[in-house]
Amino acid sequence: MSIYVMRRLLLAIPVLLLSSLVVFGLMRVMPGDALTALMAESGNVSPRELQKLRKDLRLDLPYHEQYLHWVWQMVTFNPGRSVFTGDAISTSLKKSIPVTIELAAMAIVLGVALAIPLGVLSATRQDKLSDYIGRLVAISGLSFPDFWLGTLIITFAAIWFSWMPPLGYTSLWESPWRNLQQFLLPAAVLGLRLSAATMRMTRSTLLEVLREDYVRTAWAKGLGERLIIYKHALKNALIPVVTIVGGQLGTLLAGTVIVETIFALPGMGRLTVEAILFRDYPVVQTNVMLVAATLVTLNLLVDLTYAWLDPRIRYQ
Amino acid sequence: MSTNDQAPGGTRQAMKRRDFLKRAGWGSVGVTGLIIGASRSPALAHPPSPYPSWTPASDKPPKRGGLLTRASAWDPPVLDPRLTNSVGLSQIATLVYNRLLRYPFTDEAKGSADLTLKGDLAESWEGSADFKTWTFKLRQGVKWHNVPPLKGRELVADDIKYCYEAYAQEGVQSFTFQEIDGMETPDKYTIRIHLKTPNTMFPQNVAEAVTTIFPREVLEEDGDLKQRMIGTGPFILKEHERKVKVVLRRNPDYFEKGFPYIDEYRILSTPDAATRLAAFRTGQSDILGLQSLADVETLRKTNPKAVVQEVTTVLAPFGLNLRADKPPFNDVRVRRAISMAIDRQKQVDTLFEGHAMLGWGIPYFYWQDELPSASDLGPYWQYRPEEAKKLMAEAGHANGFETTLFYYEYFPQMTSQIQLVQQDLKRNLNIELKITKQDYTTYFGRYADGKWDGTAWGFQTGYAVSRDERTYHYMHSKSPKNYFRVNDPVVDDLATKLRQTPDHAEQQALTKKIVEREHDQVLRMWMPYDAGFLIWQPHARNIGQLDLRGNFGYGSSTLARLWLDK
Repeated sequence: MSIYVMRRLLLAIPVLLLSSLVVFGLMRVMPGDALTALMAESGNVSPRELQKLRKDLRLDLPYHEQYLHWVWQMVTFNPGRSVFTGDAISTSLKKSIPVTIELAAMAIVLGVALAIPLGVLSATRQDKLSDYIGRLVAISGLSFPDFWLGTLIITFAAIWFSWMPPLGYTSLWESPWRNLQQFLLPAAVLGLRLSAATMRMTRSTLLEVLREDYVRTAWAKGLGERLIIYKHALKNALIPVVTIVGGQLGTLLAGTVIVETIFALPGMGRLTVEAILFRDYPVVQTNVMLVAATLVTLNLLVDLTYAWLDPRIRYQ
Repeated sequence: MSTNDQAPGGTRQAMKRRDFLKRAGWGSVGVTGLIIGASRSPALAHPPSPYPSWTPASDKPPKRGGLLTRASAWDPPVLDPRLTNSVGLSQIATLVYNRLLRYPFTDEAKGSADLTLKGDLAESWEGSADFKTWTFKLRQGVKWHNVPPLKGRELVADDIKYCYEAYAQEGVQSFTFQEIDGMETPDKYTIRIHLKTPNTMFPQNVAEAVTTIFPREVLEEDGDLKQRMIGTGPFILKEHERKVKVVLRRNPDYFEKGFPYIDEYRILSTPDAATRLAAFRTGQSDILGLQSLADVETLRKTNPKAVVQEVTTVLAPFGLNLRADKPPFNDVRVRRAISMAIDRQKQVDTLFEGHAMLGWGIPYFYWQDELPSASDLGPYWQYRPEEAKKLMAEAGHANGFETTLFYYEYFPQMTSQIQLVQQDLKRNLNIELKITKQDYTTYFGRYADGKWDGTAWGFQTGYAVSRDERTYHYMHSKSPKNYFRVNDPVVDDLATKLRQTPDHAEQQALTKKIVEREHDQVLRMWMPYDAGFLIWQPHARNIGQLDLRGNFGYGSSTLARLWLDK
């Protein structure tokens, strides 16, 4: 197992290097730079002054020097400063990462908590009313875009109940109740999408497992329904479900961009999108690398979870 | 539904749909009048709305205290006023810093268009006979905020000199301050500014929201002003958490005793328009800007007590920018033909729900007293497709041509507006307009660099109030703020002469000549615009919107006079 983990970690190095080249190259291909964005509402800066500012921010260096400088910063865990705001990137990340982690974690919990029972219900009551309702929920979750659902919820909550989540951000440690008010709706929006695919996968794999010989044997032995489904069938049906949940983490992180914007949460998604819009190279590059590293790690964890779920799986 | 927080400048008006239909009958009479050569009703160039365009100050005795909150689309990119003129910064900087002079606040103004200069840090000012030297006498006893490293030090004339020199040296204000030839400080409270060329309107330029006075100590200690904002203004920056909030607390030592009324002003970063609207509905935000009348009416169903003021559209911030130094747009006949082939009234009627101005670039009150009628804008601003075709044929383009247009969508109607222009040009002149929509940075980089051919959907920056900025700075061929690349010797002469003219009536006449020249030569092809509405909670007082000074944007300093009737 440890050799397998080491091998996977070593394989992550070329993946991350390739990602770094792609993100660095793409940012340079895009027209405009951070100074252009900064001056955008001002519009009376001479080319001479822009040149001077570019030099101050090292934007005038050849691309390979900029790249090597940045890679060195990443290797030494010193991502530098935003060229747009001048803030230390590590400081911005310290503030935004907990927001996105909390949002994503709540979305996963809500999504899975909705998906698994619904999936089980649908599978065990195949072609009954509860199955149809479960499938309808799943299709809705897949069909409703996050931005639409988020806007709808916030608008109608305001119109019907004269309520919306408190604006701003309060950390969980500062005020758990206020934090919950701020995070519950955005997490539910993200969670619904996650639950849709997960529910459908739970249903289909459980239907498959319920037709296995060992389940039929369990029924024949007179075991209770709950025991058969939750202890014997569901655990084996969960492997593809875990794959689906793991595979959706990327989508979930992408979804945070929209949801964080609608619910005014200062997370990684908003930070990254604004940095892209303003061509804030160091911030975009650092954030993308962080997401890439996170996804590599999560994929590894998902793979390792298989072994826990199914002891027959061995890693070498 | 959209809020107009992101509008780069200017202001706007509106009417109820039913009222519009009522007036449409009168409007059609006006249109007929235009066709037969008679002048149109002024209302058609800028229709009235069911909401007042001015809300005077409250006559009740003001109350001290309270918290004002606003959900804002803008996050200041940096806190350094040398590096940006952004409205995101100005919403804070104009409350933390002061300027030498300022324009009237809501409780002082006689109307929304009152632009009488008032002293801010200066208590008096006068120009020399040749208007090359301006002397400003400062208020005595003005203290910087009582926080390190200033610790309540007194502001003196050397502070102004240092600040203006820093502005001239680098950054976005350099063009304005490079006009200064030298400065003297004969005593602690006097600064004498010598200009390179005469400028009767120089005091207006140092009243602009972006000419804030910052402290030398912070710049010298930090090397820039990106992290700390310490001023002399009515509010002290208590907290700035990027993408979350800005908290401003009352400055107890503010030099205008008794002001500000409120204890704290919180600006909550809220990028999404629907969320800002919900925040207002639920009372989490006290002020809201809305773009369309339909949006206002929908809002008033849930918040009937909300107070609405239409924002007078005194200029158009957007227009078609033609590459006038290259064929085919260097031919004035082509520019005139294009302008006449565009049905601006259709844009007003369809996109702006019948409520928008037809399009002019210099605030109307700098060239006439009343809002312009359609006929005031000249023949090339009228929709006359047949004459446009003839002009195109004369210019040798009877079969039209292909060209390009790139733009950034500043507000939701803009894409439809551009598509209407595209349809008009295809139908009337057989001009194929290939449109490219770009993100903000790409658009701005390309637009400002000027390395483009064809056309762009152009803009003029939003902060400027002064006549000098709106004429010389934005239209003189040598000015870096001249985004439309106006290069017309007549305009250059008129704008220069305007700076040397102290008499108000003569200034008005000269500005009118500039406008007439602009419209005759179609130097900037302005398009319809509607500045929208300002809405506030019923307990807010002294919050009436002033022309060209959005009172939660570049004109935020007026919030020092706002009070809460709770």
